Amino acid sequence: MPRKPNNSRQARALLAALLERAQTWRHGYDLAKETGLKSGTLYPLLMRLSEQGLLESRWQEAERPGLPPRHVYRLTASGRALAREQDLAAIAAERAGALA
Amino acid sequence: MNVSPGGWRQWAVKLAQHASWVLPGAQSPWAEAMRRELDYIEDDRAALRWALGCVLASYLASYKARLAGPLPRSSSSSLPRWRGKVRWGQGRIGRGAVLRHAATSGAVMLLIGLALLENAGGQTEPPRPVVNEAPCDPPNISPDIGPTLSSGTVSVPRDMDHSAPKPDTSCADRVTPIRFPPKYPKR
Repeated sequence: MPRKPNNSRQARALLAALLERAQTWRHGYDLAKETGLKSGTLYPLLMRLSEQGLLESRWQEAERPGLPPRHVYRLTASGRALAREQDLAAIAAERAGALA
Repeated sequence: MNVSPGGWRQWAVKLAQHASWVLPGAQSPWAEAMRRELDYIEDDRAALRWALGCVLASYLASYKARLAGPLPRSSSSSLPRWRGKVRWGQGRIGRGAVLRHAATSGAVMLLIGLALLENAGGQTEPPRPVVNEAPCDPPNISPDIGPTLSSGTVSVPRDMDHSAPKPDTSCADRVTPIRFPPKYPKR
């Protein structure tokens, strides 16, 4: 049986974090702190989501002078749709677990 | 072995540079993105952990890229041929690149070893308490039921110092009394 893409616990945590503030550009360290993911897990996920067209990225100038620009990320429309779908699925699973 | 905070930061920067070197060209912006985040992490140890993750992520991405696309070094002519000794610089792998790769791999191993050593420091078994308890005198037992030595006499060395204070062998702090069974069962 083939695995569902982006359905791992880490991917769901990342999608949920990105969906929480869907219009805000988020940077990697911020996402790592919020989701508890290490950089070795976070960046492969970000790369994969970006390749699949679920994530958009850009360089953002630093707010403080002397610091380099940062790579920031946010979900695309299809990424938001997938994240909402997974969010709903998680809620449904929780309810099913509570009823059982 | 202690490493100064500045040392941790230097290692982190070197590891992040290595991660940039590992990632293939199309994905180099990601390596740059990971590397630049280092400047925003204030804690040196957190920066080092971040950089280690960057190295892992870059190797994973590099491996996936090799699996997905045509290998950049698939042509056998581009590889250095083994003819008794390696001819550095004839293929795409330069001598400096190989040395840098080996040095960084060694450094990563060293860091992992240091981290394990630090973690193991708190897991050693604590020293056992030293038991310093004087032996007890036998309880006051009547001679008819008391134990007797089979030899009958006990030799005492002549130079024994009787003036030295004797250890407390009264066992007054012991709670459980020693009981002997009665000589004859009650009827």
